[in-house]
Amino acid sequence: MTGQPVLELEGVEYSYRRNPALRGVSLKLKPGEVVAVTGASGCGKSTLLHCAAGILTPDAGVVRVDGEDLSALPEERRAALRRTKVGIVLQFGQLVPDLPLIDNVALPLLLDGHERGEAHVAARHWLDQVGIADDADAVPAELSGGQTQRAALARALVTGPSVVLADEPTGSLDSRAGQELLDVLLRAARYRGAALLMVTHDNVVASSADREIRLRDGLIQHEVSL
Amino acid sequence: MATAELVLGLLSAGPAHGYDVKRGHDAWFPDSRPLAFGQVYTTLGRLERDGLVEVVDKTSGGGPDRTVYALTSKGRDHLADWLNDPVPPAWGSADEVLRKLVAAIRTGGDAAGFLARQRASHLRRIRELRETPADDDPTSPLVREYIVAHLDADLRWLDSALDRISEQRGAHR
Repeated sequence: MTGQPVLELEGVEYSYRRNPALRGVSLKLKPGEVVAVTGASGCGKSTLLHCAAGILTPDAGVVRVDGEDLSALPEERRAALRRTKVGIVLQFGQLVPDLPLIDNVALPLLLDGHERGEAHVAARHWLDQVGIADDADAVPAELSGGQTQRAALARALVTGPSVVLADEPTGSLDSRAGQELLDVLLRAARYRGAALLMVTHDNVVASSADREIRLRDGLIQHEVSL
Repeated sequence: MATAELVLGLLSAGPAHGYDVKRGHDAWFPDSRPLAFGQVYTTLGRLERDGLVEVVDKTSGGGPDRTVYALTSKGRDHLADWLNDPVPPAWGSADEVLRKLVAAIRTGGDAAGFLARQRASHLRRIRELRETPADDDPTSPLVREYIVAHLDADLRWLDSALDRISEQRGAHR
């Protein structure tokens, strides 16, 4: 895999009040690369993902997305970069309850100023990619956990992000639905050519990565190619 | 490993040559080590001695061995008993990973590095199994899920061993 990193963390530190969650973490993701971040609960995995997504601002260190230093950008540009270059999938879909799937998936494009028709075409394409095109008009309450996660994935990919961040993407699903979602996630990220950073405690999910980074007490304990 | 009972199972569909028994075994367990010919013939010899199988045809000549074996009724009963009995859970298993880890710690080797590489090796094996295309054999997913579940259990142990070693290193600093 060649090319400049699409995501780069350099010496990232973050504390909740006085409790350090990350104590100097550096990593790079190249285009198309799949990386699993593993480690026991409380090791800093989710904090790392939230810093990478620009949801949390590190106390020290730098986060670069497509070469742009997130902390050096004004809030508005940071939010725009987050919307267009970074796709996020959380453990429980986090869809807007009242909106049909097509609108949920189109939402990032609408927020970014795209025309409704154009946004719906893109949303329909990604609903098709994740295998739930027939549910475009359903609202989240009508969906299974697996379908919800697929919709969340479609929403994460609709803007054409360089990097997809997934926090325990299969965590709310049973083993079979989890495996199916993992296959869809890998296929869709590959189809899009996006790098994928997955935080997981599931060894089957971790096994699908090119690289495993294991955290312990806010530091990288080891990093191995798979 | 209960090779003798598996051979009885492989003969339960009807008489067969040693070669067919070996091929049948390897098809039943494509993810396991293939059964050696020597082991098949030694096992068949022992089963014949014990009256669990019998020779029903033998073609002599310069070509390959054409001895055909069949289950006896005693063999069929033995197979049924074996299939009914649960397997005692293993305890205090000292497999290669544990032996290497203990040896690495005792000799001052890089135990954490070994565990990290072992973790990667286990994860790669899970990926291989996941990527194996599905076939029509209804036992294949069962075998695969069994192996993945055991690898997963090993991985959880490898994780806690890694954490324990890191804690011990921290405490001795």
